[in-house]
Amino acid sequence: MKQQPPKLARRFFDWYCGQAKVEDLVGDLDEWFYQNLKTKSPAKAKIIYWRQTLLLIFSYAIKRRKQKAAPSSYSSTSFSLDMLRNYIKVAIRNLYQYRYFSILNVLGLAVGMSVSLLFISLISYVSTYDSFQVNKDNIYTIVTSRTEGFEAAEYATAPIVLADKLRESFPDAREVVRIHSGFNEEVIMDNGILPLQGYYAEPNFLNVFTYIITAGNGESALSKPNTIIITESAAIKFFNTTDVVGKMLELDQGGLLEIGAVMKDHPVNSHLKFEILISYSTLPESQLSLTDQWTNYRNQYVYVLLSETTKQSILQKYLDHIKTPIDNRSPIKVSFNSQSLDDITMGPDYRNAIGPKWEASGMIVFAIISILILLPACFNYTNISIARALKRSKEIGLRKTMGCVNSQIFFQFITETVVIAMVSLLGALLLFVLIRSEFQSMMVASASIDLSLTWRTVVLFMLFALGTGLVAGIFPALYFSRLNPILALKNKINARGTSGMRVRKVLTVFQFALSFGFILSLIVFNRQYQYSLNFDFGFQKKNIIDVPLQDVDALVFKGEFSKLAEVQSISFSSGLMGLGSPTTWIHSGESDSTEVSQQFIDTQYISNFGFQFLAGQNFSGESQQRERHIIVNEEFIKHYNLQNPIDAIGQTFNIDGQELEVIGVLKNFHFAPLRYPIKEFIFRTNPSAYQYANLHVTTSDVFGLFTNMETIWKSLSTIKKFEGKFFEDEINESYLTYQVLLKIVGFLGLLAITISLLGMLGMVVYTSETKTKEVSIRKVMGANVYNLALLLTKDYLKLLVWAILISAPITVFILSKMLPQLQYYSVNISAWDVAISTIVLLALGILTIASQIYKTAMTNPADTLKGE
Amino acid sequence: MKVYLGEFEELVLLTIATLGQEAYGVSIQQDIESRCNRKISIGALHSTITRLEEKEFLKSWLGGATQERGGRSKRFYEITRAGKKTVAESKSLRDELWSLSKVTLSTNE
Repeated sequence: MKQQPPKLARRFFDWYCGQAKVEDLVGDLDEWFYQNLKTKSPAKAKIIYWRQTLLLIFSYAIKRRKQKAAPSSYSSTSFSLDMLRNYIKVAIRNLYQYRYFSILNVLGLAVGMSVSLLFISLISYVSTYDSFQVNKDNIYTIVTSRTEGFEAAEYATAPIVLADKLRESFPDAREVVRIHSGFNEEVIMDNGILPLQGYYAEPNFLNVFTYIITAGNGESALSKPNTIIITESAAIKFFNTTDVVGKMLELDQGGLLEIGAVMKDHPVNSHLKFEILISYSTLPESQLSLTDQWTNYRNQYVYVLLSETTKQSILQKYLDHIKTPIDNRSPIKVSFNSQSLDDITMGPDYRNAIGPKWEASGMIVFAIISILILLPACFNYTNISIARALKRSKEIGLRKTMGCVNSQIFFQFITETVVIAMVSLLGALLLFVLIRSEFQSMMVASASIDLSLTWRTVVLFMLFALGTGLVAGIFPALYFSRLNPILALKNKINARGTSGMRVRKVLTVFQFALSFGFILSLIVFNRQYQYSLNFDFGFQKKNIIDVPLQDVDALVFKGEFSKLAEVQSISFSSGLMGLGSPTTWIHSGESDSTEVSQQFIDTQYISNFGFQFLAGQNFSGESQQRERHIIVNEEFIKHYNLQNPIDAIGQTFNIDGQELEVIGVLKNFHFAPLRYPIKEFIFRTNPSAYQYANLHVTTSDVFGLFTNMETIWKSLSTIKKFEGKFFEDEINESYLTYQVLLKIVGFLGLLAITISLLGMLGMVVYTSETKTKEVSIRKVMGANVYNLALLLTKDYLKLLVWAILISAPITVFILSKMLPQLQYYSVNISAWDVAISTIVLLALGILTIASQIYKTAMTNPADTLKGE
Repeated sequence: MKVYLGEFEELVLLTIATLGQEAYGVSIQQDIESRCNRKISIGALHSTITRLEEKEFLKSWLGGATQERGGRSKRFYEITRAGKKTVAESKSLRDELWSLSKVTLSTNE
């Protein structure tokens, strides 16, 4: 086949040259190509062709020829700095001349962009995670898929025995290092007890990960048992100096740790977070059998450093074919996968992950929310710009008459939008700084992110503003560039083109539908929050102070604290009521077993919390000594098909190997948060299980009471702190998620509503301007202010009503699915909620446009008509 | 206004004069490359030709359709009267300098 010159190069050349006459140059290029073919390979000839094409494109010859072909000296498709300067100048003049619209546009875009800035800075920061690791491209962690029966789950952990296997039979791994994250102890210092968190790590940890040792020998510190590497900030926390090599830390649980080395604090953007690294040999020898080790692992992580040339697929292939000693008949199946260091922080969600995680799914939701807030703002800009085409049509007509080509008009309007977007970026940045800390405090892993501005984020923000400008400006720019100059100069532009009008209405309705959804959600969530706080749990929650006993003996505690006059009665329990309880299994008959929640209490407890007996009685003092009885709830007897509470009394159940007799039946109460339905529950007795003292108090001087209690506490325990809290506060704290939810929905709603109202205001101002003449004539003909106001508002009210009609059923549907997910005992959405939301939205809408409508309706027809 | 010629401009002008009726893009470039034993880029050549045309030292016209280059016609160049005058002036200036200078024509110094 005969060789042809590269088509793409030819096309590119033709496109670039446009209308310029370059037939001879193309001919020259082709002739060279065919000549080169005779002496050189086709590939070489093509490369030369490409090079020559590019050289010609940048040459003076093409530039001149293009200028010659253009209709005017300034119109050319090539980039001209002079014209750009002109565009920016005209843009700024326009912004200044129509200040009102500029402010509306800038405000709207700034509000719309603020959430996206949060998203960008978060993504930008999270993507820097672990980038300080020198070996980051070659480090992989092993993750496990574990299936037990039907229950499958992905874990970030891996068996330690797998590390041994890798070392033995996978030579491509330069290093295999094991980390155990289970070190959470307390250290006894002169000034009290301080918590200490760290990882057990093998000696080669420092070969794999990049950390800077400032004193001592890191490798030897990780080799000997009971020696540690401490970070500088932790050293300062304990000793107030970083010169700590050789010093000892005494653990509350017993044991001494010697500091073998000090290292610089690791950066915040690390998925490994620790105060100390402890030698792996400190970890007690595992008691598990070898088979169990392949199926049971918590807190154990395996990292592999591959050699430079090894690909991940080779490691994966090895892992796929690994043989485990797990019995084939065992219900547990495991398989292993590798995950690169980059994917650990922002990758798929694994259980028991060692560090903070940002799941991709959460990020996608965040991105969608950002876009939902941003797009309406862009759309408002588009809408207002096109609606105001009439004001600009003369300018465009004149430009075109003077020889401006479509692409230049397009570029001019894009420039103008980008200028606006850049100004908006400043506003958005201000908002971003204001909401940043609040946003950060709402995140779970707030300590692991740093959203302060860096060069990187600033550049990303600028690019984002540029992108926003392009999106918002593309439709106006296309519209204006296609204007017919003759019509434009005659002022015959029909800005309200019929098809455009429909799209505009749909988009406005969409905006208000979104706003309505936010308002309704806010009202309903708030109602559910109040509902949860005022819920009747079936027991007393006022005037009770819970005190964790910690290491204080219950009897001693009772003796001392009952001396306080404000304390009415004291009871003891193994857990906190209303926040959920641990479970156990009950066996009755041969095979039937039931899971029940349980709590250990003393005789005072039931009266202290005001539980109601349906049958039977309280524990006696005797059953305190030796466990014989249980008290159950209604749900419990329902489960065993007992009709009457009385029937349950005297029944025995096998619990934890003991035969226990039902002595009382209580009315149902919410021992777990409202998120869960009431299940079977039993009260048991066992003084050794007490964790909390529950003090029923009557006092008006809360502060004085707490001071007194702390004084007594200090006489009982020297090391631990007094941690008494009001029971009601503890219960209410568990519903704090609603506050966060309300905050987020409220804030997003505020943004969405602001943007849609700004958009509507812009449209109203514009129509008022164009309709002044019509209003004046109507006035002269006898219309009153009321008629005129109705005439001007009618269209907008119609849109609002449409938005509500569309949004109400959708929002109600979503919320009715969502509320029971949030908690089992949830509120029902009533017509009132919808009605209130409707009134709020309509009121906001009317308030926004009222002043403009009023102004237009009140114009004196003599003023406006005399100029005609 | 007196217009000066650059070294490469002079080279191109003279080459076009040498080639006579056959002066078009490819032939000019080949001639210069073979005679001077130097590589020149197509962009540089056409830029120079464009400048010479603007100075009105060259005139050009499109030839007819051709076989060997996909039917695309060639643009032929010819040196104008002004062009000839400028090259001549340039030559006489050099001749004068040569005769006055102490440089001998032998280069084995």
